[in-house]
Amino acid sequence: MKKKTVKVILKHLFLALLVLVWLVPIIWLVVTSFSAYNGRNTSTFFPTEWSTIQYVKLLTGTDTVANFPAWFMNTLVVAIANCVVSSIFVLMVAYAFACMDFRGSKGLQNLSVIVNLFPGVLSMIAVYFVLKALGLTNSHLGLILVYSGGSGLGYLIAKGFFGTVPKALQEAAKLDGASEARCFFQVVLPMSRPIIVYTIINSFLVPWMDFVYAKMILNAGVSSQWTVAIGLYNMLDKSLINTYFGQFCAGGVLVSIPISILYIIMQKFYVEGVTGGAVKG
Amino acid sequence: MKKLLALILAMAMALSLVACGGSSDDSGDDASSAGSASSAAESEGSATESEGDASEADASSAGATASGETISLTVWGAEEDQTLLAELVEGFKETYADYATFDIQIGVESESTAKDTVLTDIEAAADVFAFADDQLVSLVNAGALQSIDEMDAALQTYAGKSVADIEAANGSGSVTAATANDTLYAFPMGGGNNYFLYYDSSVLSEEDVASWDSLLAAADAAGKQVGMTLASGWYNASFFLGAGFTTTLNDDGTTGIDWNGTSSLGYTGVDVVKGILSITGNSAFMAIADGDSSNQIASGSLCAAVSGTWDAEAAQAAFGDGYAACKLPTFTVAGDQVQQGCYSGFKLIGVNAYSENVGWATLLAEYLTNEEAQTARFEARQLAPTNTNAAADEAVAANVAIAASSAQDVYGVVQTVGDKFWDPAATFGEILAQNQLSADDDDAIQAALDELVSGVTAAIE
Amino acid sequence: MNKLKSGLGAVGRFFADFGHAVADGDIFVKLSLVWFGAGYLGRKQYIKSIIMTIYEAAIIVYSVLVGIPYISDFGTLGTVQQESVFNPVTMKNEFNDYDNSFTILLFSVITLVIWAFALYTWMYNVKNVYRLQKEEEQGRHINNFREDLNDYINKKFYVTLLALPTAGVVLFIIVPLFVMIFVAFTNYDQNHMPPSALFDWVGIKNFVSLFGGGGLTDTFGYAFVRVLGWTLVWSFFATLTTYFGGILMSLLINGKDVRGKAAWRVLFMITIAVPQFVSLLLVRNFFADNGIMNTILANIGLTGFLQDIGLISNNYIPFLTAPGWAHVMIILINIWIGVPYQMLIANGVLMNIPSEQLESASIDGANSWQTFRNITMPYVFSVTGPALVTDFVKNINNFNVIYLLTSNFYTTTNQAMANSQAKETDLLVTWLFTLTQDYYNYKMAATIGIIIFIICALFTLIVFNRVVARTGQGDFAS
Repeated sequence: MKKKTVKVILKHLFLALLVLVWLVPIIWLVVTSFSAYNGRNTSTFFPTEWSTIQYVKLLTGTDTVANFPAWFMNTLVVAIANCVVSSIFVLMVAYAFACMDFRGSKGLQNLSVIVNLFPGVLSMIAVYFVLKALGLTNSHLGLILVYSGGSGLGYLIAKGFFGTVPKALQEAAKLDGASEARCFFQVVLPMSRPIIVYTIINSFLVPWMDFVYAKMILNAGVSSQWTVAIGLYNMLDKSLINTYFGQFCAGGVLVSIPISILYIIMQKFYVEGVTGGAVKG
Repeated sequence: MKKLLALILAMAMALSLVACGGSSDDSGDDASSAGSASSAAESEGSATESEGDASEADASSAGATASGETISLTVWGAEEDQTLLAELVEGFKETYADYATFDIQIGVESESTAKDTVLTDIEAAADVFAFADDQLVSLVNAGALQSIDEMDAALQTYAGKSVADIEAANGSGSVTAATANDTLYAFPMGGGNNYFLYYDSSVLSEEDVASWDSLLAAADAAGKQVGMTLASGWYNASFFLGAGFTTTLNDDGTTGIDWNGTSSLGYTGVDVVKGILSITGNSAFMAIADGDSSNQIASGSLCAAVSGTWDAEAAQAAFGDGYAACKLPTFTVAGDQVQQGCYSGFKLIGVNAYSENVGWATLLAEYLTNEEAQTARFEARQLAPTNTNAAADEAVAANVAIAASSAQDVYGVVQTVGDKFWDPAATFGEILAQNQLSADDDDAIQAALDELVSGVTAAIE
Repeated sequence: MNKLKSGLGAVGRFFADFGHAVADGDIFVKLSLVWFGAGYLGRKQYIKSIIMTIYEAAIIVYSVLVGIPYISDFGTLGTVQQESVFNPVTMKNEFNDYDNSFTILLFSVITLVIWAFALYTWMYNVKNVYRLQKEEEQGRHINNFREDLNDYINKKFYVTLLALPTAGVVLFIIVPLFVMIFVAFTNYDQNHMPPSALFDWVGIKNFVSLFGGGGLTDTFGYAFVRVLGWTLVWSFFATLTTYFGGILMSLLINGKDVRGKAAWRVLFMITIAVPQFVSLLLVRNFFADNGIMNTILANIGLTGFLQDIGLISNNYIPFLTAPGWAHVMIILINIWIGVPYQMLIANGVLMNIPSEQLESASIDGANSWQTFRNITMPYVFSVTGPALVTDFVKNINNFNVIYLLTSNFYTTTNQAMANSQAKETDLLVTWLFTLTQDYYNYKMAATIGIIIFIICALFTLIVFNRVVARTGQGDFAS
């Protein structure tokens, strides 16, 4: 019995140690964001002088380098729009491939796998010129289109999840005279909350993470149009890092808080969604 | 079967493409009609007519044709320039209010990366943008820069100065830096974009900072270090330039470099490398990562550092009352003391050749770089003026950093390198910084220099 | 092979059906060959007839106005060089009617896609009209417009579902992809940049030079091999470490006697909630040569010790700045951000292990290692095996981790690589990115992109045929 207790304690200690390793950089992010020093603190882990000045500067001082409130709103708008369009696209494609039998289904799916094998960075410049042909460069609408336009390709996990919804239910509904569309909206979707949440979170997060496309498309140099990712990335420019590192950390914390909360609340769905999908997908 | 798919998908696509194809056609049409118009008799008539106007009347009557128009322009400047730009733009609007109303948007684009953004899509880039002079040839070769020479008439009519006046008003180095293929392609905005030695005069004496040997010895005695960036061709070239080596920039954008041979002063590249190695081998020397200098100066472990005017504040804060700056020290090459050279860089403002309103864009660029603007820029961000009148200002001469920058400039050469210079040169510097070459191994040093030369001289593709 | 055959068979059938329709169709069907709406008019489907006529008109208008002008330049990619003259009166530049090679390429590809689609609908339309003719002949009911529409929320619901997403994918993925594939066969580089200059077709020259055929820096082939090597090594380790790390971590947290399982999970998950550009840029400053980690290690004397035993030559540990060190650190940091995510997946999979199996194992007296080896792993692998392959491909193209950790931060000391703008830590994708962003060498970037695709495709094919097919997971679309 005693040996077992020791083992349990050791196990917890080991986990605690792992958590520590995992969180050290995050802790550093948080404590640095509360430092009074603007640049990188390279001599001590904790700041020598604590202050909330970085947050104050980030949120109130709107110079061209730090325009956080505007960036946050821009990203939020893009994220919500992308979230709506992408989620609808992904769920539609997933349903078509998972629950409907039609000629060309296999061929289209194989094609989508092949397309996914090309590195996305490669065609960036061509995507830019497609947007330019549509007259949508340097606009949030263009950014939304780029994020959501190709989202239909990310259907695999959702398709796997839809595959787990019992076929019998769908057939029963159809016997009762329900149309395919009704089956999609009233049978399959209500049973797929986890994957819907999973899809929504994933597409919501894209604009918060991407700095490559955003930088390319929002190319007018007007910092009030930027997304959070471009703005914060810009702060680490060689000529700026020593004045803005503190604000970068503060910005990092501010972005991470809502995303973390989202993850924690949705954790259950998220796990069910991704595993439900992965089991089959 | 798939008619609806056909309809929704193809119609939407086809229609939108017709629409956008149409719009792009429009711009093509504009260009073509403009192009053909210049040869057409009708436009010739109008051209002569207005030529008569211009010759007969002064600027105001020429402007009368344009007044009432709203001219939209965009300007890109560095972060540090934003406030100043906003003020200058207001001044520009007032100055030229008689001719047109202006809608001018100011954007942020670092001078050091302007080329990357501009060349990605020249047509979408700002009408007027600031950049560092090493980007000039790439921008010219890509056709992104408007020839300023071609704008002589417009400048004379509206700004009352000719291109020759502008060239005369600025230091000759800056004009050379803004010139390619014997054509002026940009307006010099500021100079002093070189590097020199900041030091703490409470630790080091003026004799100490005269040569690297005495500098490192004194620093060592004080338990401090001397920092310099080596992993960048911009900095490590200083040793070679001092010893009489050169780089050249060819019209096709390729770089010529002779560092693996013998210089005009009779030193070999191997000699120079050995001189650098004797510095990097000293424990009082710290190789600073590119872009990390202000951070290192602020850390307090340095008593001297090679950097430029942008680090003046950091050095002042770190060295306090001992804050001082001077030209670079000498270093030992084949037993001689050789003065370290440098690249003299300039900040330029160019005009986008694809600008819708290229004429007014040129006038704006001129306004942003005239004597008053340069004086204001010096006050705002301590950028040394290239305008000789502005540079003669007493405040400029009194500035410690700018004084040192000018003292070093005597040994500076205009930066003449192409794109292919930077990566190989940075790697060469990193090899020196990490002491990966042995000073005894002449063959290895020569091989490294040969490899450097072959990389730098590679064709542009 | 069978798949290929059946695919070809389907295409063949499509053409055969089309031939039948043309041969056996009545006047309306034959008229449909030139007028899309004719067949429907003949069956009194007026609305459809109008819609198809408008559709046809739209395609013709597009082709005449946009398509044909661009396609006719496709062979040369433009011949008229841009020239401009400043007009001091209008204060504007006057341009000639110049060609832009890139626009020609882009619109040619778009036109080809539209024409391919138009061709398909043209043939489909004829077949469809013939089917209507048959139905009429046999006296069966012909759908009215409302019934046709109704089909699109019923047995043809998939068309409704797929239409917009497919259009999006075509416009934002397929078209750009084809454009870049074409670029690999041109000389689109810094000397040939539209709009001021034209570029032209060069055949397979770029592929020849990539494999040492000359015409480029002689180090390009050398750099390519090195970068490819590290790309494969990285993908292998990055995939396996996070995969098994995730399973182990999940097993640890789900252990019977561990308290607060959810809390542990949340703590680990924080790293995935911080956007990568924040967490990775932060970590790279954390491990910088003069960063906080080096300060701490120097203070506790570890740096001095390593220096004494000759492991490092400077007074700092070059975590992310020296080859070897950087390679290991990159994989470790990838574990840091990758394992929590894999843990989430493994967690769900482990919960689904049939409990009877685990119980019977414990009754048989199997220890935890045996249970893990004989029951847990086979189950987990059978479920997530295919994901392992997609993860590997994703890691080959893992731009974020490498770019954020090394760009403007790692300076190579390998001169041969530097001469080709590569560094030891580059993946093929990050190298490709540098070539396009900093050197505008689009032709080589596109060439490398095609090579990446070939590697990924070969790998996927082999693994799916050899491994996954055996575990009964079928082909990769399942």
